[in-house]
Amino acid sequence: MESPTPSPTSSHQSPLARRVRRWPDQLFFAIILAFAILVVAVAFAIVGILAYNSQQSFRVFGWQFFISSNWSPNGQVFGALPFIVGTLLTSAIALLIAVPLSLGTAIFITTQAPRILRTPLGTAVELLAAVPSVIYGFWGVYVVHPFMRATVEPVLHEYLGFTGLFGPPGGSGDVLTASVILAVMIVPTISAVSRDTMAAVPAAQTEAALSLGATDWETTRVATIPFARSGIIGGIILGLGRAIGETMAVTMTIGNVDRVPDSLLGPGQTIASLIANELLSNTGPLQISAILECGLVLLLISLMVNVVARLLVWRATRGVGGRVV
Amino acid sequence: MSSSGTGTNAPPTGTTTGEPTIQRQKRGRGALIAVVAVIVIIIIVLAVGYEAGWFKGSSSSTTGTSGCTLPSAGTIKGEGSTLVAPLMDQWATSYWTGSIVTYDSAGSSAGIQAVSTKVVDFGASDAPLTHAQRSSAPGILTIPESAGGVVPIYNLAGLKFPSGQSSLNFNGSVLAQIYDGQLTNWNNTALQALNVNVYIPSVTIAPVYRTGGSGTTFIFTSFLTLENSYWASHYNKNTSWPSGLPGTGASGNGGVAAAVSTTPDAIGYVDLNYAQTTSGIGVGNVQNPSGKFIHATVANTESALATISGASGFSLPAGSGDWYNVSFLNSPGPTDYPVTSLTYLLVYQDLSSAYSTYTLTSAKNLVDFLHWAITTGQTWSALLYYVPLPTFIVNSDNTTINSMTFGGSSIPVCIPSGGGAPG
Repeated sequence: MESPTPSPTSSHQSPLARRVRRWPDQLFFAIILAFAILVVAVAFAIVGILAYNSQQSFRVFGWQFFISSNWSPNGQVFGALPFIVGTLLTSAIALLIAVPLSLGTAIFITTQAPRILRTPLGTAVELLAAVPSVIYGFWGVYVVHPFMRATVEPVLHEYLGFTGLFGPPGGSGDVLTASVILAVMIVPTISAVSRDTMAAVPAAQTEAALSLGATDWETTRVATIPFARSGIIGGIILGLGRAIGETMAVTMTIGNVDRVPDSLLGPGQTIASLIANELLSNTGPLQISAILECGLVLLLISLMVNVVARLLVWRATRGVGGRVV
Repeated sequence: MSSSGTGTNAPPTGTTTGEPTIQRQKRGRGALIAVVAVIVIIIIVLAVGYEAGWFKGSSSSTTGTSGCTLPSAGTIKGEGSTLVAPLMDQWATSYWTGSIVTYDSAGSSAGIQAVSTKVVDFGASDAPLTHAQRSSAPGILTIPESAGGVVPIYNLAGLKFPSGQSSLNFNGSVLAQIYDGQLTNWNNTALQALNVNVYIPSVTIAPVYRTGGSGTTFIFTSFLTLENSYWASHYNKNTSWPSGLPGTGASGNGGVAAAVSTTPDAIGYVDLNYAQTTSGIGVGNVQNPSGKFIHATVANTESALATISGASGFSLPAGSGDWYNVSFLNSPGPTDYPVTSLTYLLVYQDLSSAYSTYTLTSAKNLVDFLHWAITTGQTWSALLYYVPLPTFIVNSDNTTINSMTFGGSSIPVCIPSGGGAPG
């Protein structure tokens, strides 16, 4: 409580001098406040405009819109189920593939790789995030899809076809190919975030495990992953967010068929690819309205993913935090 | 001591002397926040209002000078058909300095949409306006700009042709049955009957169609409707591909060509230009009403136009008229290609009432370009596998373009020499 020299500015100046001194601060404050309000206003405006423009579709189709799988521009009947399913399905498969890949990469880079390799390896993985999605789409169309269709999918169909998940391959795009592309696209996101949190695990934590005779795998399992859990979950959710909204690469590889996919090897459509394919070349106001209602659904799904992510991170950090066990 | 929680319960150690100042600043900010918020909201409202045209005053129109003047860059914006995009891109490059016209190939329906909502100066569509589209956006003129053929393309390994045949024969009925899922294997009796002595491997057909509204789809489904009664009664002609049919969708003529060329066993339908310029695909022959299998070329699509327009009683509608039933499909000429169609430019007849921002100069710029497109521009057509407009269409186009007005009076004509012809 030993306050040193009382600040000389406050009480010994005339009010005018104070005000003059303060105006740059106020200007700065006003400008950044304007920016903040503008950004929030844009966010609300997007939701508002989507909601406003999807009224017509909602009035015509009601709640049926979300469970109907009939999307027929020629019959002017629209149901969003195929795209909701397509979006969730591709994102889920992408996560299924990407999570082990990313975590493995992150663990390798932070704990196992020779020290001189860590930075270059990490940078290389992060470079994947810098590849524009249309390039992924191009790679999907000319490399991944032909490979999947000629090599992977016939095998899946032959040996796992009985599950009903892997129908006959065919067509210029399919759900599985799009999901694989998505998986590669979200690996850098998940891996970079996980790597950062894993690198932040205190050495004492891992050294303690090692000194108890734990193997590398056990150390990772009991010391590294629990500590980094919130970061890992955060990274996964960030990746999921990217997968849900990804448009270009999916449009180029999923086959763009407006119905619920019959199998993982069949074509489908996500909400994002639907918007890319049909918003501009629509058949009239009702279709625009229906497409925008799908856009609203996409927005809500993304929002829900974010909320769930926060809850998960909050739950994971509660009690674990930085506490030394 | 646990690492977390440090300081949370510790008493504040800050100086107390500074507090009043901080308090005062905070208090002052309440008003400031309100002021800035009001300003931002006013700006947003003004911006929205400007967009909505609240402040539309009497726009002063600058009178243009007579004669051809170089328009400024980016003054003419078009959008639409991907079928005609290669030709349109060439026109954009060749017209004056190459920076006057910008064209966005988003598809025919997108072009109709864009011109109806007046966000472009012209739309381009291979499908004519429907009655509903005409009534929802009245005052649009239809100007044939070129003609092309829609051809089936395929990617099928292992075909063995006898001498004298080098690509698969199709007819409208077989194409319809392939596309509606009645024929699922390449090796089927219907296709085999059209391709006697051709070895066709037994693999599943992977049909590829266009997503969104497409003029190419309109031309193709119009042909299937003429040729196959099942298709006619179930799916008819339309710009959107019927839902529930097998296959996969691709965006634009280029997207279909790419999808077919990278997908084994695929079949697709694209404009002749894309068929000729895409590698790794076969281009199918289509049977015409005389029973001949025709491999599409510029010459035999051109002759299809000539045969149909030469028939007695043939006439084109006026530019402001209804073009929905204009068809150049199934020309009776023995060597004519059957899937031939015009493709159209769509512009407003009275430019001053359609576009509040237009001046006489911008109207002249647009009209000059239209004149150039149907004259000098046509010299590019054949090089890019499009059909140069026959004289009778150029003449009727001229009449249509001369009927365009600005502020109720006609627009001075000037065919610019600035545009380059090939070579």
